Parts: sequence; structure tokens; C-alpha cells
Amino acid sequence: MFERTKNLNLSVIKQMELRASKYPDVISLAQGVPNFDTPECIKRRVELALKRGMVAKYSLSPGISELRELIETKLSQENMFYDWEKEILITAGSIEGITATILALTNPGDEIIIPEPTYTSYREVIILAGCIPVFVPLDEANSWSFDLEKFKSAITPKTKAIFYCNPNNPTGTIYAKEQLMGLAQLAQQHDLYLISDEVYKDFLFDDKQKIFSLAEVPELRKRVIRLFSFSKSYAMTGWRVGYLHSDESVLKEILKIHDCLVTCAPVISQYAAMGALEMGDKDLIEMNDEYRQRRDLICWHLDELSHVFSYVRPESAYFVFPKILLDKIDYKDCEHADSLSWKFALWVLEEAKVAVVPGVAFGPNGEGHIRMSFGRSEKDINDAFRRLKKLFSHK
Amino acid sequence: MKKFLKIILQYYLKVITKIVLVVHNPVIIVVAGSTNKSFVRDEIKKILLEKEKNVRANPKNFNTEIGLPLAILNIESGYNSYRRWLPVIGSAFGAIFQKKFPEYLVLELGVSQKGDMKYLLSIVKPQIAIVTEITQRYIESFSGMNRLVGEYVYLVKKIKKDGLVILNWDNERVRSLKKYTKARVLYFGKDNLKCDGEIQEVKKVNNGMQVKMRYIDREKEVLIKRFGNHHATSTLIGWMVENELDNL
Repeated sequence: MFERTKNLNLSVIKQMELRASKYPDVISLAQGVPNFDTPECIKRRVELALKRGMVAKYSLSPGISELRELIETKLSQENMFYDWEKEILITAGSIEGITATILALTNPGDEIIIPEPTYTSYREVIILAGCIPVFVPLDEANSWSFDLEKFKSAITPKTKAIFYCNPNNPTGTIYAKEQLMGLAQLAQQHDLYLISDEVYKDFLFDDKQKIFSLAEVPELRKRVIRLFSFSKSYAMTGWRVGYLHSDESVLKEILKIHDCLVTCAPVISQYAAMGALEMGDKDLIEMNDEYRQRRDLICWHLDELSHVFSYVRPESAYFVFPKILLDKIDYKDCEHADSLSWKFALWVLEEAKVAVVPGVAFGPNGEGHIRMSFGRSEKDINDAFRRLKKLFSHK
Repeated sequence: MKKFLKIILQYYLKVITKIVLVVHNPVIIVVAGSTNKSFVRDEIKKILLEKEKNVRANPKNFNTEIGLPLAILNIESGYNSYRRWLPVIGSAFGAIFQKKFPEYLVLELGVSQKGDMKYLLSIVKPQIAIVTEITQRYIESFSGMNRLVGEYVYLVKKIKKDGLVILNWDNERVRSLKKYTKARVLYFGKDNLKCDGEIQEVKKVNNGMQVKMRYIDREKEVLIKRFGNHHATSTLIGWMVENELDNL
């Protein structure tokens, strides 16, 4: 019974949120949810579609043509050129796109390389597809960058794809072009796909104009599947809409799975996505500025706790991934007794009523770390750290 | 109250835009259809810019009753802020006296409900109209395809005898619009015999498409650094418009 799910785990992030919900006064820096509401311009676009009776029926399975046209135009502004009719697919959030992609590209027993620490759910989707996740550690000493030699060593005859998140969750790293081209070279040598989850691509601190994507390289068209979601950039986590694109030869296979899974992305959310692309630029910039300030704030707080944490300053996303410098946590009755990051997270939750995510949730190399989200308000961040500083004042 | 103010604003912008167009008298090229309008618009604008013409096209979704006048007048929208609309009202009036108003306007017309085309054409009087596709997009707002097609019938009827209508031969509904216009009609599409502008061959390469096309008796081959047949078609339409501008 339940052969398919027995090796799957409920996301540790959700587990922490469930535990945290039992504490009435908790401040959660766990789940990565923007504290902004969806911008008004997006809501107005949806109201118009609702009023005109345009959201009740299915759309075409790949998505509303107008939205795909908008995405093609937007991609071309970012130096990526894809045919809206045959090469762009609107998904129910990027996780549906990831699931459809992996199911389309792989066969049971295939291996997928994941640089880690990275987003928790990738492992679960890979296992659900009957494949094997192969973790390759990022180099914390070099700002969580790739070590291409490690990738090379991880490739076997069963490897089908390299799947990475850029900018990365939880480390906030933006992978350099040279690094990504190194991955591309490996992919070409070994006939691999490159699955690039770029959900945080609009989070650009430190004067960066845009991130580089392998989807910009014409020679890689048939290898690269790039994914994006409107959840984070436009505060639309509840709307469940994103997109992916690749060469038509790949996309038509992913479309078959997408059709099985969801028929089409929620039509009301597709109109929301249109509103985001048509009118959301100003809100995007404002939210990005706010996240930059929160990044600086949380880093300042971490600097004040330099006896407890060390960290790599995040360049993007809204997470920081500090290393725990304390080597002993006095926390009993922890079902994860061997995991410092679990013990630390549970101890901090119980003693300070602050929820964070144990780093081991993001891969073996995440052990000894925690993830904190600065998607919350400045007040929440300040209040959380006031409690943490009080807790650690005795350490 | 908000709805009332919107109506006042809409009327004000319409009147100002009409005055501006009378004063400056640009050549107006409109692009309509269910899909691919913006690609055709961008291609025509690109060609006119290459010929060093002063041209303005309506950006993004500025193709409806308030957006279109704003685009013609080249004014930012105030979106949902009363305060931000105040300078817009002043700027709109000032646009009448613009010194370097474009000699060409390339405008995408958006039709999502009955009467849209009539309203938009009460503001602009195009000399050239291009209809790309007619599909079931926005059918929910019309009581059937005939009503939807009726918007485009209205458009082609409004093009004068000395104007030009460019239609997609490959779409039967678009093709049938010919009988409603007195203007000269040209067809684009894949049919060698029926089309004035023809896409002969599209070959996908790494960085785009090699496209062979014909217009009347001229042929050319171009590398388009984009993907999708709509870019081949847009390039063809752009070529056709380029050749026909001198005939206006």
C-alpha cells in the first residue's frame, strides 16, 4: 500500500509552520511568503475579467494566448526568444511546472543532479517521478557557488538532468554566468537537460540589472527548460500561476503531462498574471526596494549575533541561511536528535516563539544551518530578533 | 463617483485626441485581430524607424478607450490614483501644441466587447488597417461569432477608398472581410496564387528562422532572430506596408 508515497515527506517548511501554529504568539520567519498583498493593478485586471464573464471556462491547455504573447515579449526583453504558440506553457505555479517537466523528461530510475542546499520540494518531486536525486554540495566558503568538479563526479550513465534554482533558495546566491556555462558544457558532453527554476529572478539587490539565464543561449534551446512563477515577484503565492518555456520539441511532451495534471492553469489567475505583466512593473520595483532594506536589516541583526551565527550575505530571494556556531543545544525530546539544525529550530521555537526552518531540510549540506525569511515585515523581523537576542544573551 | 469621473476623463481625452489628430494629421496604421497584433505593430514601427520616419506606436495594453488616447498623446497613465491623473489632464491639453508630433501612428486596437471598435474609430481615422486573425478569443463578451466578426467588419468599412486593408488569407473569417470595404485589399498568407504577400518557406535554425517570402513579384530571404510563424508573418506584413506607403 502507498508504495509511491512511502518515501515522500511532507515539506519540513510546512512541518515547522504546523508546529508554530500551536504557539499563539509565534513570529514565523519560516515559510517564504511575501507579507505584501497582491498589487491593486493585478486585482483590477481580475475584476474586469470576472465582470466580463471570462474566467468560468477552461482556457486552452497551454494557457490564454494573450498571456503567452505577453510572456514572449517579456522574455525577448530579457534576451530569450521563444514562440508563444508552441514554446511557452502557463502552469499552476512553478511546482506544477517542475512536476510536469520531470515526469516528461525522465524514466523511473533516472538520476537528477541537484546542487544543494536548495528548495526542499525538488527532492520530493524527483522521488515521486521514480527518479533518484543526486545531491552535489555548493561551496559555502565561496559564497555557495558551484564546484564543477563535483558535478562532473556526480554524473553517471543514469543521469538525465541537472536541476537548479537561480537565484537559489535558501542561500540567496545568484550563480555567475561562467558557472552556468560550465554546467551547460557538462550537459552538452553528457546529453543532459538543464532545468532552471528562476522564480526569484526579479529579486535584484546590489545594483544588479538582471540575472543571466542559460535560456539565453541559442545552442542550448533543446536542453534548457526554464521556469518562473508570479508568486514571489508579484506577491501572488495564493494565485498559483507560473510558466515554463523550452524548445517546441520538449514543450509538446511537457504539455501532455500538464494536461493530465491540471487541464489548464486557473484562468482567473492567468488574468492576474496578465495584470502583473501589463501594469505591475512599478510595484515590482517598490517591493524589491523593500526586500533590499529587509535584507540589510536582517543581516545587521545577524551581525549583532556573530557569536551565534555566521552567514553569506544573500544577493537575491528573501532568505538568509546562517550557519549555527553553537555546537551544543540543550533540547530534549527531539525526534531529530542527530540533527543540530532540527534541534536548534525546535529549541528556538519553544524558547523564543520564533519559527525558522532547519537547514537539513534543504539538503545534507544544509545541516548545521537554519533558513530565515525576510519576506516578513520589518516589525516582525525586529521583534523576532529581539526575542532571539534575549535567548542568546546567556550563550 | 469613480465611474462618473472615468466617463468624464474618457470623453475629455477623446476630444483632445481628435483635435490633436486634426491639427497634426499623421498617417494612421491600425492593427487589429485576436492574436499577434503587437508583433505586427512592432515590426511596422521598426521599419518606419529604419526609414528615419517619426513614428509612435501604442505600448503594451494601451489599446482601449483610455489607453489609446494616452498613447497617441504620449502621456503616462495615472492608473488608480486621482492625484496622478491631474497632471495628465494638463499634459493632454498641452499635446495639441506639440511641435514634433509623429508623422506616423502605428496603433494596436483592442476589441473585447461589442462597440469597442466603433468607439476607437470615433477617435482615429486610419488610412491602413491590418487584420491578423479572428478566433474565439473574447467570445464571452459577444453573443456569437457573428457579433465578434462584426467589430472587424466595422473597421474595414471605415477605411476610405484611397486607403488600404491587409487581410490574412489563411483565416476564413478575416478573408471574408474584403466584401465590406471599398478600400484596396491585399492578402498575406501561405497561398501562392491568392496572396499578394506569401510566406514560402520557414526553416528553423539555432538562433531563429530562415524565411523565404514573396510580395507581388519580388522575393527575398531573411534571417529572423525570433521563433514562431507569427514573426515570419509580421515581417511579411511589414514589408508589404513599407512598399505600399508611397501609394497612399
